[in-house]
Amino acid sequence: MEPLLSVKDLKIEFDTRYGRVTALDGASFDIHPGETLGVVGESGCGKSITALAIMGLIPSPPGILAGGSIKYQGEELTTAPEQRLRQLRGGEISMIFQEPMTSLNPVFKVGDQIAETIMLHQGSSKDEAMDKAVELLRVVGIPEPTRRASSYPHELSGGMRQRVMIAIAISCQPQILIADEPTTALDVTVQAQIFELMREIQEEFGVAIMMITHDMGAIAEMADRVAVMYAGKIIEEGKADDILDFPGHPYTKGLIGCIPALGKASASAQTLPPLAEIPGVVPPLHLLGKGCAFADRCNEAHDACKVSPQLKGSPHAVACHAYRGDVA
Amino acid sequence: MSQSKAPILSVEGLSVSFPMPRSGIFGERQYLKAVRDISFDVPAGKTLGIVGESGSGKTTAAMATIRLTEAQAGVVEFNGTDLFKLSSEEMRQQRQHMQVIFQDPYSSLNPRDRVGAIVREPLDLMNVGDPKGRDARVAELFELVGLRPDQMALFPHQFSGGQRQRISIARALATNPALIVCDEPVSALDVAIQAQILNLLRKLQEELGLSYLFISHDLGVVQFICDEIAVMYLGEIVEQASRMDLFSKPQHPYTKALLETAPSLARRKSAGYRREALVEGDPPSPLNIPKGCAFAGRCPKATEKCLNERPELTFDGNRSVACHFPND
Amino acid sequence: MENKHMGTEVEAAAHPLAETARMFIKNKAAVLGLIVLFVIILIAIFGPIFYTTDPEDMVWMAYSPPGEEGFLFGTDYLGRDLLAQMMQGARVSILVGLSAAFMTVFIGITVGALAGFYQGIVEEILMRITEFFQVLPTLLFSMVIVALFGASLPMITIAIGAVSWTAVARITRAEFMRIRSLEYVAAARAIGAKNNRLMFRVILPNALPPIIVQAALMVGSAILFEAGLSFLNLSDPNIISWGRIIGDNRVNILDSSFAVTIPGIAIFITVLAISLVGDGLNDAFNPKLRGR
Repeated sequence: MEPLLSVKDLKIEFDTRYGRVTALDGASFDIHPGETLGVVGESGCGKSITALAIMGLIPSPPGILAGGSIKYQGEELTTAPEQRLRQLRGGEISMIFQEPMTSLNPVFKVGDQIAETIMLHQGSSKDEAMDKAVELLRVVGIPEPTRRASSYPHELSGGMRQRVMIAIAISCQPQILIADEPTTALDVTVQAQIFELMREIQEEFGVAIMMITHDMGAIAEMADRVAVMYAGKIIEEGKADDILDFPGHPYTKGLIGCIPALGKASASAQTLPPLAEIPGVVPPLHLLGKGCAFADRCNEAHDACKVSPQLKGSPHAVACHAYRGDVA
Repeated sequence: MSQSKAPILSVEGLSVSFPMPRSGIFGERQYLKAVRDISFDVPAGKTLGIVGESGSGKTTAAMATIRLTEAQAGVVEFNGTDLFKLSSEEMRQQRQHMQVIFQDPYSSLNPRDRVGAIVREPLDLMNVGDPKGRDARVAELFELVGLRPDQMALFPHQFSGGQRQRISIARALATNPALIVCDEPVSALDVAIQAQILNLLRKLQEELGLSYLFISHDLGVVQFICDEIAVMYLGEIVEQASRMDLFSKPQHPYTKALLETAPSLARRKSAGYRREALVEGDPPSPLNIPKGCAFAGRCPKATEKCLNERPELTFDGNRSVACHFPND
Repeated sequence: MENKHMGTEVEAAAHPLAETARMFIKNKAAVLGLIVLFVIILIAIFGPIFYTTDPEDMVWMAYSPPGEEGFLFGTDYLGRDLLAQMMQGARVSILVGLSAAFMTVFIGITVGALAGFYQGIVEEILMRITEFFQVLPTLLFSMVIVALFGASLPMITIAIGAVSWTAVARITRAEFMRIRSLEYVAAARAIGAKNNRLMFRVILPNALPPIIVQAALMVGSAILFEAGLSFLNLSDPNIISWGRIIGDNRVNILDSSFAVTIPGIAIFITVLAISLVGDGLNDAFNPKLRGR
């Protein structure tokens, strides 16, 4: 199947006070129609940068697109004119952000904000757009959509605002929805509602989702495929089940092991064993050397790790010298 | 609750409310009832977890117990001393026995002080030991929490989130307190770092015999660290039980909903996982508390009775639940 | 293995203020302002020591243009050496500017800190007083003070301070209210810090940046204010200041404009330099611009 979006060797650098650092180093991945790709990693690993790059929203300066390509349905986006990107953004590729309060304009009613996107991309009249906005609010599960359309963002709860953001994002039937930590700012019960909504929308409209998160639980529940990122690189990629059950990279193993997850066994034990730990911290980007960025924190590190490992294998790819293929 | 030892902290009928700005000069002043008549004990050397979503009053309750927030009613006995009856100077003296670790490692350390001075400050304020001994104690504390004593001269902004939280922990331990209030100590941290801090907190508890009052919204974290758990919703405790009871046989529908949302790798999209009995909507406003059960508006099995009659927290010999139909 | 916990190499223990200084030095206009200010202050301090002509002596005929007879700035309407007068005036203007700004900051911080820290009745009363001073017509009020208590230099300083402290008080209060809710203040309280310590040792140092900026700008506006009062003949007639030189010579502005222009330019340059420094401080303290 032809991928909807194909990212190849994407490299993004930033000018900082420490000089030029590589925030994203040769990331390659595909997103196919109707699937969910989960991108998981800790803060600063480059997952949000990847999303912004696809949207053509890397702030420049200080950001620099240093190489690679982003193809959407065969069309190269890295060299596309700004006008074309504007057309795609919010139209065929749309995005929802972590903080629904700051991504909505506080001085406009939410209905108007949805209608504006529709008018901008589909050239409909104001009345048509308003009708559609109310319909969308209904789709995303907002009670009394007609009344809510004339609310201001501050009158809505965090969960409601994120629903409005989703309504805006799907207003122009996007092919790809990029969700950057969509539920991190929300309470857990509301988080569950938003996940459920995203899955319903995916089933109904067949939209492909790129979901950026730090939460392995969200990955299990939402993703078909997963890319694990560390210090600007994709270090493991494959089917969600393969990665959750047979993680190949020591970092992925650590990430999974350190979650205090619920389970029958742990609920009955008198004292729980300590959580698995990944020692140390993510190295700052300006201190990255030539070798594997994880080597300093890795129990399995050896001499070969002084050279940065390539992402190898298909469909389960791992970037680790110690990895010898799926044990299973 | 079968505790042989006397509790280190015993809270009875605690209520906290905040006055809201008047609506106009002659408007009636409204009160935000953040905590409504709650009681709990922290067993000596153990951990009581208070779990709930934002706005549930869990942090307010904890801060009111140690008089960092003013309570309107209640009795708090700490080691047999009634804290609410102490003069402010007597209370200040008591503070060396009870300490706090705050949520946000970026705002809980004074940016203008060197971290060595930050950890030393409680010793200075409480006049513990002589100046030379204090420096040695600070160095010892740094090692205890996994920092290097030569980092004492640095400023907070030179540390990562996880390291700052270690500094916070060192400060809290300085005066050898018996009780530490942990207010969401890991929720601002990346998962890998979260595991390090959770393991550290547990190790310190074992080595130093500390008692924790642990506030969190994350049931996975609570399960890992707590012995006894109270679930709060809209200012009230709706269920309280030992860890094993709560996680293996939750009784309150809200507890069940929370458990549904806790991190788990077992809920796979590939296996067709769908959430059941989803809790709808958002919690009601603490300015306008419902007449009946606070959770009734969102509860999948609420009846007429739940809407009109407030369920009492009742102890069944094993656990306390505030629900009219706990076992259905 | 244990060591891996420890991450960060020990770099230089950069004090937060070192970063501010680094940002300030990057701002060329602000550094230029600082240099100009420095030169003016040097002239004010050392000028009269090396250039010993008495500014009160009538040394030559009136309104001799600059450069003639060896008088660099010429002479004023009484034939006094304008250069000597300017140097003497610089002392007065800068002294008034600094002391009025100091007074402003002192009152402003005290009122603002108390109002922002203790809310409730204390805040109500203090803020009503602040508002009272804020709505007073500043010039009229200072004229009344000077008229009632005499036009001595201290009185003028007090008059200027009394009408300008409200801005500092409001900024201080706002900063205190913001910082008071931060966790490190709660943390300090939790380890047993008393209110005085919270206010002056914990909150104040963190609230200082915008206050310092305001204080710097205050020096400039105090100099202007003093010049205004002197121009209106409301200051001590025995003391030479830049405003007074302008006021004294304004009658003959058409014939001998230099005697008005020279002190005018001095005031302009000084206040501009102060504004540039204040602006530079503001940018340097603003963390959003950092790390670029």
